[in-house]
Amino acid sequence: MFGYIYKRTSHAIEVLLIVSIITFAVLQWIPGDAAQLILGAEATPEKVAALRTAMGLDRPWYIQYWDWLKGLFQLDLGRSYLFGQEVVTLIQQRLPVTMSLAAFSMILASVTAIILGSMAAIKKNTTVDYISTSLMQLGSSVPAFWLGMLFIVYFGLELKWFPVAGYVSPDHGLGPYLHSIALPSIVLAIGEVGMLLRTVRTSMLDSLSQDFMDMAKAKGLASSTMYLKYALRSAMIAPINVMGLQFAKMVGGTVVVESVFGLPGVGRLVLVAVEQRDIFLFQGLVMFITMLVILISLLVDIAVMFINPRIRIEMQGE
Amino acid sequence: MAANRRRIQERFQLIGGSVLTALVVLLCLLSFVWVPHDPNAMQLSMRFIGPGENPQFILGTDYFGRDILSRIIYGSRSILLVCVLAVTAGSVIGSLLGAIAGIVKKGPISGLIMRSIDGLMAFPGILLAMMMVAAVGKGREGAIVAISVFMIPPFARLVYSLILDSENSLFIKAARSYNISKTRLLRKHYLPLLLPRLITLFTACIGSAIMIETSLSFLGLGIQPPNASWGLMLNEARQHFLQFPYLAMAPGIAIALSVLGFNLLGDGLNDALSRRRS
Repeated sequence: MFGYIYKRTSHAIEVLLIVSIITFAVLQWIPGDAAQLILGAEATPEKVAALRTAMGLDRPWYIQYWDWLKGLFQLDLGRSYLFGQEVVTLIQQRLPVTMSLAAFSMILASVTAIILGSMAAIKKNTTVDYISTSLMQLGSSVPAFWLGMLFIVYFGLELKWFPVAGYVSPDHGLGPYLHSIALPSIVLAIGEVGMLLRTVRTSMLDSLSQDFMDMAKAKGLASSTMYLKYALRSAMIAPINVMGLQFAKMVGGTVVVESVFGLPGVGRLVLVAVEQRDIFLFQGLVMFITMLVILISLLVDIAVMFINPRIRIEMQGE
Repeated sequence: MAANRRRIQERFQLIGGSVLTALVVLLCLLSFVWVPHDPNAMQLSMRFIGPGENPQFILGTDYFGRDILSRIIYGSRSILLVCVLAVTAGSVIGSLLGAIAGIVKKGPISGLIMRSIDGLMAFPGILLAMMMVAAVGKGREGAIVAISVFMIPPFARLVYSLILDSENSLFIKAARSYNISKTRLLRKHYLPLLLPRLITLFTACIGSAIMIETSLSFLGLGIQPPNASWGLMLNEARQHFLQFPYLAMAPGIAIALSVLGFNLLGDGLNDALSRRRS
């Protein structure tokens, strides 16, 4: 059991190192000099050179990389010159927005996917199956930014059910907070649910064909017990993995939706960093989000190991 | 009965996908032959004509008085160009990397390649694309590089796992026993095995490439104004779509239908292929 955890963790650290190398290398490639960008075009070469020295940009790349990497492990993501603040502080201010979005849309998407996916599997090759899979195919083909615009016009402007844009923090009451986050969460969920539904359906089909289902049927169990207690429980392992990964990736994937709904989240910050060419901010953001993705998928894998009796027993047997 | 229904669904996917894909390709070809108006010609006296209000402008005009239909037709050209080029580049690089890793199998090179692929896959989708755009610069080239990097992992993984899977099959063992060169082994024995799967993946990847390209253009990082691109049209519509929702309709439908088309075609091909194998 510890062997598995050790192996999985060291793989995560390896991937993290590679990600840091890719990020560092790609962003080194950016044309133009960070010091020049900060000071503007009219700065004298002496001033630029002085700032370069102060920022440590005149050192060889491998020393710069090493320093940056050491900082990462202490959660020092660097400093944004655009905001004049630590990247960690900037993220802290915006993370609640993005996390709320990711969490709500994941809950919505998971519930829908589990219900529709298991129904599609139980009623395989019937109209229910075709309708739910076709709807999902349609859902994952519609771009989130367009769906967001349509929802704003219809649910925000026509029906006035939801605010058109903006974010209300939970400090101002739970109701207004949920109200402001509902529409963007639904839009995100529609994009995510397709992939999840497929996973639930496939894995449910697989567990329906297992011997224990014949056993349950032979025992004369009620079909609700049979499906909920036996099939669904054993079918949830693969979808939980996918959910964890999708949740983690959503933290970086909310850029478009945050931009449509004018939400002040991490995604907006990423966009600002690219537009304003704030390399340090962008580097910090990319590393933060990717570290989160790797960490969450590691935790999910370990959690699944504990949940899944088959793996657990195999491990004890070792 | 059930198998029959499966066949019907598969056929529906294949036909629906082919029709939609063909439409996008036809639209693109049409842009070389005929467009109703110059897509970039601004006529400020003709601003905000709604769809159907003026027979000259079937889908209406935008903020600058440009004809929306012409811009949609032109947009199909830029989107297909970017996506096909990018996925081609990504699939070639990815397949080569996967093939090298699969053939060498053990050793540092294979490990390095597959770990790098894992690393690339750890980036959330749009973030990797945005990073490449930051490095290469906004615009068409940036979008092509961004999407092609994004497409490397799926191809590398597919080729790698297929090579490892079929390693123990008789025809590969036989070929190896002749001591043929590795490139010949790849070209003559693995390629016919891989090709159908690669084509399927390629089709499905065009769908996701369209999604990324339009997202980038929507964020203002892809194709730059005044060029016509569907994502950019939606971006430009943002300032006025609350008063004129029709501005967002045509480009959005165009994106959704073309993504759906390539996805359906990819799924249909995949199902047909796996049925033939089993």
